[in-house]
Amino acid sequence: MDYVSPFDERSRVTEPLAPRPADLSGARVALLDITKRRGDEFLDRIEELLQSRGAVTFRVVKEIFSKPASPEIVRQIADRGDLAVEGLAD
Amino acid sequence: MTTLAVAPEFTLPSVAGHSLALSDLHASGPALLLFVSEECPTCTLTLRRLSPAIPDLTRAGVRVAAVFEDPLEVAARVSRRTGFVGDVLSDPAPYDVSRAYSLQSLPTAVLIDRDGHEVNRVVGWDAAALRTLLSVSVTDESPVRKPGCAAKNTYDAESLRALDGAGAFDELEEMFERGWTDGLPAIPPTVERVDAMLGGRDGSRLLGEIAPAMARVTLERVAACSVLAGCRPEYFPVVIAAVEAVLEPAFNVGGQAVTTQPCGQVIVVNGPVREAVGLNGSVGALGPGWRPNMTIGRAVRLVVSLTGGGFPGRLDRSTLGNPGKLSMCFAEDEELSPWEPLHCSRGFSGSSSVVTVIGADAPLSISDHRSTGPLELAGVLGEAAAATWSPNWWPLGGASLFVICPEHARSFAEWGWSKERVREEMFSAVVRPAGSLRWGETTPFVNAAGDEQPVHKWDSPDDIMLVVAGGEAGRYSAVFGPCLGMNTEAISKEVQWTT
Repeated sequence: MDYVSPFDERSRVTEPLAPRPADLSGARVALLDITKRRGDEFLDRIEELLQSRGAVTFRVVKEIFSKPASPEIVRQIADRGDLAVEGLAD
Repeated sequence: MTTLAVAPEFTLPSVAGHSLALSDLHASGPALLLFVSEECPTCTLTLRRLSPAIPDLTRAGVRVAAVFEDPLEVAARVSRRTGFVGDVLSDPAPYDVSRAYSLQSLPTAVLIDRDGHEVNRVVGWDAAALRTLLSVSVTDESPVRKPGCAAKNTYDAESLRALDGAGAFDELEEMFERGWTDGLPAIPPTVERVDAMLGGRDGSRLLGEIAPAMARVTLERVAACSVLAGCRPEYFPVVIAAVEAVLEPAFNVGGQAVTTQPCGQVIVVNGPVREAVGLNGSVGALGPGWRPNMTIGRAVRLVVSLTGGGFPGRLDRSTLGNPGKLSMCFAEDEELSPWEPLHCSRGFSGSSSVVTVIGADAPLSISDHRSTGPLELAGVLGEAAAATWSPNWWPLGGASLFVICPEHARSFAEWGWSKERVREEMFSAVVRPAGSLRWGETTPFVNAAGDEQPVHKWDSPDDIMLVVAGGEAGRYSAVFGPCLGMNTEAISKEVQWTT
């Protein structure tokens, strides 16, 4: 018997993960603040640790945590960074 | 020298989506046909036990095909359950191929040589005989021999009808196996049922994309969800309007679908379509008992959780969930309400039919059989919402949906209060000094305020939504918990329908 699926059955292309860098010296790291409470505190500490390992960091802030990042934000991270760190939850 | 009999030729549909002929199967080497059926336990055992031998048989050039005396979807399901990896063919009633091979009982394994002659056959499960027939390792696990069941081509008509009944039950089970459910039995969305739901509408019409799956929400998929949910076709216009509302970016369904909050999607229906489809806004309006209420709300939730990918425990990370995430749809009782109905307050004409979707948690009942004046009753209703989200989370930063029961609404009307007056007085009644709210989970607003600064539960009376519903007797209203942090807005859409 033929059924009509409730799912969108299109196959998706999964992007491979970027290769892991050997070290962080000189790496440009985007720190994505999704605006969840205390996410900035978490990223502050991560930033200290990254900078102590020679990374160059920059902040990107989402408009609101509960919506997907805008294409502009994703583009900024891709253009300006080699790596990205995102802080989730409260 | 014995002359081998020519095996009867056949062409049968395969679960892989194309037809296969016997000549295809022995085109480049011998073929092993395993005649089986769903109802026969020995057939299941044979499929399970022979599956591990299939790689060896393939290497030896033998192609293995299971031929089911069952419809294709049953063959697909049983082969999937048993882990059978060979070709899977269907020879449903009247079982012509089964008859051509003179099968009396199943399972029967028939080995065909490259020239299309039958080499030999083994009836039932017989480990030693199969080992000899196939020259591969076959498990010696007990039982080493097990008789099978009668082949269905030998059944009388009455027995076959009984078996069809069993098959219909399993069709429902298959919905669970496919994951096309919210945990309750679902109606299989056959092409015929989905067509009936669509009612001539273009199934390929795209309503939008839905997060988190970023899936394309076509009318056909909404119809499939509506069938699964148990909707009648006449409910479909209401489901479409509700899905259109859910897909509005300002509703942020993606955020609602994945959050650890318990929120679901509450649907309020106004206008003449309520009566046309039998939506309940009277006694028990927020509970079970009415098919349109239960199934329209469920259809929308299936679009969110199946099509949209927000399935509980997967991408839906709701810590506790709430029963309203199964379905929450009700009508406003405009006839018993002394006030302007919700859709008119939101700019629609009274004669239009409108759905309004609101991201919200479970309803909290508010009993009040004792208030003797409007200020007292407004205070009771408002205070009940004081602890929603969290007791010290003021202002809420979102809207609260109140369902006012007809007796409470009538009292306000008799006291001469308009809907706006009730909202304003509820807003004014729920206020505390900031210092009393500064413990546990509280807001940055409270933390920044002076101890004596008054803080209201809501930013403004506009965050208090009132609709009237419920039985004529009883003074129980309710307030839904909010959905916060989503920037979600209530969205209204007109239902496109004809009488």
